[in-house]
Amino acid sequence: MGQDLFDGYATDGFYDELLTADGEVRPHYRALYDKLATFSHEELARRERLRDAAFRSAGITFTVYGEEEGVERTFPMDLLPRIIPADEWAHIEAGLVQRVTALNRFLDDLYLGERAVLHDNVVPRWLLTSSAGFCRQAFGVPVPHGAHCLVAGIDLVRDADGTYRVLEDNLRNPSGISYVLENRAAMTRVLPVVFGQSRVRPVDHYGASLLRALRHVAPPAAGDPTVVVLTPGVYNSAYFEHAFLARQMGVELVEGRDLVIDEHVVYMRTTRGLQRVDVIYRRIDDDFLDPVVFRQDSMLGVPGLMAAARAGNVTVANAVGNGVADDKAVYAFVPELIRYYLGEEPILPNVETYLLWDADQRAGVLDRLGELVVKPVAESGGYGMLIGPAATDAEIAEFRARIEADPRNYIAQEVVSLSRHPTLIDDHLEGRHIDLRPFVLTGERVEVIPGGLTRVALRRGSLVVNSSQGGGSKDTWVLAGEGQPLEPAEEAAS
Amino acid sequence: MRLDIRYRCRFDYDQPVRESQNELRAAPAPHDRQSLISYRVATSPPARVLTFEDYWGTRVDAFGVRDSHTHLEVVAESSVETRPQPLLTASPRVERLADPAFLDEHVEYLQRTAHTAWGPTIEAEARQQAGLVGPDVVSVVLALHRRVATTFTYRPGATYVGMDVEELCTRREGVCQDYAHVMIAMCRSLGIPARYVSGYLFTADDSTGDIPEGEMVEVQTHAWVEAAVPGHGWIALDPTNQQEVGERHVKIGHGRDYDDVQPLRGVFAGSATCELDVSVEIRKGTVTAAPAPTPRPHRQAQQAQQQQ
Amino acid sequence: MLARHAESLFWTGRYLERAGDTARMLDVTYHGLLESPPDEARRAWYDLLEVLDARAAFEATHGEPDAASVSRFLVLDPGNDGSIVSTVGRARESARSVREMISTELWEAVNTFYLELFARNLRHDLEQQPYELYGMVKRRCQGVAGTAVETMPRDDGWRFLMLGWMLERAEMTCRLLNVRFAQLVEADPTSGFHDWIGALKSASASEAYRKAYRASMDRSDVVEFLLLSRTFPRSVLYCLEEAERFLGELCPPGELTHAQRLLGRVRADVQFVDVHELIDRDLHDFLDGAQFYIRGVAELVATQFFRHHVDLELHALGRL
Repeated sequence: MGQDLFDGYATDGFYDELLTADGEVRPHYRALYDKLATFSHEELARRERLRDAAFRSAGITFTVYGEEEGVERTFPMDLLPRIIPADEWAHIEAGLVQRVTALNRFLDDLYLGERAVLHDNVVPRWLLTSSAGFCRQAFGVPVPHGAHCLVAGIDLVRDADGTYRVLEDNLRNPSGISYVLENRAAMTRVLPVVFGQSRVRPVDHYGASLLRALRHVAPPAAGDPTVVVLTPGVYNSAYFEHAFLARQMGVELVEGRDLVIDEHVVYMRTTRGLQRVDVIYRRIDDDFLDPVVFRQDSMLGVPGLMAAARAGNVTVANAVGNGVADDKAVYAFVPELIRYYLGEEPILPNVETYLLWDADQRAGVLDRLGELVVKPVAESGGYGMLIGPAATDAEIAEFRARIEADPRNYIAQEVVSLSRHPTLIDDHLEGRHIDLRPFVLTGERVEVIPGGLTRVALRRGSLVVNSSQGGGSKDTWVLAGEGQPLEPAEEAAS
Repeated sequence: MRLDIRYRCRFDYDQPVRESQNELRAAPAPHDRQSLISYRVATSPPARVLTFEDYWGTRVDAFGVRDSHTHLEVVAESSVETRPQPLLTASPRVERLADPAFLDEHVEYLQRTAHTAWGPTIEAEARQQAGLVGPDVVSVVLALHRRVATTFTYRPGATYVGMDVEELCTRREGVCQDYAHVMIAMCRSLGIPARYVSGYLFTADDSTGDIPEGEMVEVQTHAWVEAAVPGHGWIALDPTNQQEVGERHVKIGHGRDYDDVQPLRGVFAGSATCELDVSVEIRKGTVTAAPAPTPRPHRQAQQAQQQQ
Repeated sequence: MLARHAESLFWTGRYLERAGDTARMLDVTYHGLLESPPDEARRAWYDLLEVLDARAAFEATHGEPDAASVSRFLVLDPGNDGSIVSTVGRARESARSVREMISTELWEAVNTFYLELFARNLRHDLEQQPYELYGMVKRRCQGVAGTAVETMPRDDGWRFLMLGWMLERAEMTCRLLNVRFAQLVEADPTSGFHDWIGALKSASASEAYRKAYRASMDRSDVVEFLLLSRTFPRSVLYCLEEAERFLGELCPPGELTHAQRLLGRVRADVQFVDVHELIDRDLHDFLDGAQFYIRGVAELVATQFFRHHVDLELHALGRL
C-alpha cells in the first residue's frame, strides 16, 4: 500500500496544489495520485535512482568549481511534478503576454520613443531617473521590433485562495530555462506512464523558438543572420545554461575576447578568419558589456559593442537598460503601464506593494515591519531581503535604519502565503511552498513556453525558493485542453 | 564672441597596440548662449566615425582602430559664437527647491555619484556657508561658489581623478574637475540640483585686456558648474576662476559628474605603455554676421566617413 | 570554429604529451644513473635540463644539479612552466576552456589525472617511489590519449588536439634521441646493450624495437627506429606524417599554406636521411634542426589559425 506516502500529510490551512481544503484530490492530479498510490517505498527509491541516473547520463551534473575542485552533484529535482490544468494555464498565458507586451512598449517609449509615459505622468519621472537600472547609455540604441525583453522570466506565486500573482519581473538575464528542459527530459524516464497518459504540453521546442526570436530581431540588413551566445566564461555559475542554450540552438558559444569590432561591425575570431556576427544573445550584465561605455575595468565584454549596436550593425538581446523596468519600485506601476499602453485591465495582479519614499506608506510599513517582506529594489535572486515574520528584532532594526537612510531603494510587500505542493522529504510527502517562473519570448509574437520552472523551498516552512538560497525544483506539466493539440501548429509544422 | 578651437589628443605607444575603441566628446553643444558654426573631427590612423547625440545632448564621435598601430591622434576643430549669460532677475527662496515638479525634473542632479559622494564634512561646510547668507537659492549658490573659489588652491598633480570628494575638500587643492566636483557636492547636499560642465575656456591675458584677433592661445580643457534655480533655469559658475561663466566659456556638455562628459574614453589591447599629449588652442575669430542657427544632430545614429 | 577553442585544443594536446615525456625522460635518467659516479650524473642531469630547455631556469634558482633537485624542479615546481604539475595544470585549464568542444569522458580523464596528481604528496613520492610516480604520469597520459581516440568526434576540434599532440611528440622524441645519444655514444662509444634498452624504454619503445630488430642492438638501428619507424607511433617520422595528415585536413584544398610547406619539408628531411651518415657526422645538428623546424611549424599553425585570437589585455586610455 503506497497510500502511506501521504500518511500524516496535512495542508495546514495553505492552498495545496494537489488537495482541496476538504482533502479531495484535485481532478488534474488524479492520474498522478493514483499512480503514487501503487508505489512502495522501494519503488520510490528506485525512481529516485532512475532520476539521478538520467541526470548523470545526460551529463547534467553540476561541477562546483573553485575551492572544492571537481565536486559534482546531481540536480535537486523533486519526483512529483507540478501540474497546471489547461484553463488555468490559458489565464496565466494571457496575463504574461499582456504584461510582457506592455513592458516592451514601456521600454521602447522610454529609450527610443517620445517618453509619453513621463509626459502623461503615468510613472513619476524621478522614479525612473533615480533607478539604478535606468541606463542612459541605451538611449537611441535601436531595438528591432521593440523586442527589449526578448527573454523574460516572470515570477508568479499563488496566494491563500489560489490566485496567481506576479511577484517580480526578471527582464535582464533570467536564468533557469535549462532546468526546465532537463527536468522534463528526466521526468519522462522517471514517470513515463503517468506522463504518457497526461497529455503534457512539450517544452523541448524552446531552443528552436529562442533561435527564431533571435533571428527575427537581427538588423534588417542581415540576410541570413549569424547568432551567438555571449557568456562571461566557465567560472560563471550559469555557464552550464549558456553552453546548454548554445547547443540547443546549434550556435557558437563565445566569450568577449572571441569577438572583435571593426568599423562598428562585430566579428568572431575563427580558425578561418573573421566571421560577421549579427545577433548576440548575451548573458553578461549591462555593466560589463562594453568597457568603453560601462565599467572600464571589465574584461568580459566587447569594446565598441554599444557603438556597433547603435550603428544598427548588431542586435544585443536582451536589450540594454531593461533593469529600469524590473526595478521593484517600478514594478508597482506595471498594472498602470498595462492600462496605459494597452487600454486593458491587468489579467494577473501584483502582490500588494508599498513604496517607501511615500511618507505615509513608509510610516505604515515601519510600524509593522515584522509582518511584511522588504526587498531592495535592484536585487534579484532573493538577496538582501527581510522576511518580517521570520526576522529577529536586530534584523528588523537594521532594515528600519536602511529604509530611513534610503527609502527610494526599498519596497515592502505583504507576505504572500505561497501555495504548497506535496514534496518528497526522505521517504514520505510533506507540503512545501512553491512558485513558478514561466519564460516568455518576444519574437514575431510574444510566446510563453508551457509551464516554466517551479521552484520549491525545501526547508520546512521556508518561503524562499531561490536556487541560490537552497531551493529545489519540480517539473511543471501544463495539460493540453480537450481537443487542443499538444503543440502550436507552428512548432508542429517545423 | 566668435571662437575657433582646435582640440588635439595624441597617444604614443612604446609597443604596437590594436583594437582600440574610443568615444570623443569634444564638440561644443548648441544651446541658448552658444551657436556651433562648424565642427569636424579627424583621426590618425583614419577611422570610420559614428556620430550621435547622447542622453545628455552631447555630441559623441565613436571610432575604433582594429589594426596594429603605435599612435592614435584625434583632432577636433570647431567654431562657435558665444553670448553672455542673461542677468538673473529672480532669486526664489530655498523652500521652492522642495517643489514636487522641480524635484521630479532634477532628481538625477541631486544624487550622490562616484565623484560627488559627499559625506558629513561637505554637508556641514555647505550648511555653514548657507547660514551666512539670505535664504534664497542664488545667494546660497554664490556663497558656495565663493567658498570653493577662495579657499582652494589650484595645483595640478596634487589630486587624481577618482579621489573621494570628501578628501578633496579636506586637501583644498586640485584642478578644475576637483573644484567642480566639490561645489556640486556642496550644492546637492543642500538639495540644490547641480551638474558638471565640460568645456573650453579662452583664457586671454586679462591684464592687457584684449587679444589680437587671429592669434592662437594654448589652453586646456576646462570644467565648471551649473546649478538649477527654481523658476529661472541653470546658472553657470566657474569656481576655478571665481567668475560667472561668460562669453569665453565654450560648453561641450553636462552630466552628473565627470564620467558623463569625459572628453575621451577608450580602451586598447596590448601591453604597451602610452604617452599622452593633449592640447587645446583657441583663437578669437573675426566677427561674422549672425550665424544661421545650427541644426542639432539627429537623434538617430548617423554614420559618416571622416578622413584626415 | 572559434580560434580560441582551436588554440586551447592544440595546447591541451601539447601539454599532455610534454608531461608524459618529461616523466619518461626523468624515469630513465634517474634509473640509468643510480650507480654512476657523481661527475657523470651531474653531466647527465645537465644534459636533461638542456634538452628540455630548462637549464637556464634551473640555474637561476638552484645550484649544481643532482637527482633530487632536478626531479623536484621538473616534477613539482609550480614556478617552472615545464614541470609536470605546471603542464598538467595547464592542460586541464585548456581542456576546461573547451569543455563544450570535447567529450565528457575526455574532460573527466584530464580532470581525474589532475586531481590525482594534486592529491599526492609529490615530494614524498619523489624520495620514496619515483618509479611509481613516473609510471602513474605515463599511464594517465596514455589513458587520456586513449580516451580521446575512443570518444572524440573526428571534427576540426579533434584535428587541432591531435596536431598539437603529434608535433609535441615528434619534438620530444628528437630531444630524447639527442640526450641519450650524448650520454651513450659520446660519453662511451662502447656502450652496451643495456644502455640502449634504457634509451628505448624512455620512448616506451623497447618491445616494439625488439619485434622489429630481433636481437640486434646496433646504435644505428636504434636511431633509425626512433627516427624513421613507420610502425612505432612515437617515431619522429610517424608523428610528422600524422601531423601532416591532420594539418592537411584542416587547411583549405588548393595551394599549400606556409605551415603545410614547412611541415612537409621537415618530414621529408627526416624521411630521406641516411642514418649511418648521420651518426658518423652530425646527428646533433640534424636533431637540433628538426626541433627548430617543428617549433616553426607550431608557430605557423598559430599564425594561420589562431592569430585572430588575442588574449586581450585591455587598457583604459588615460582619463583626460
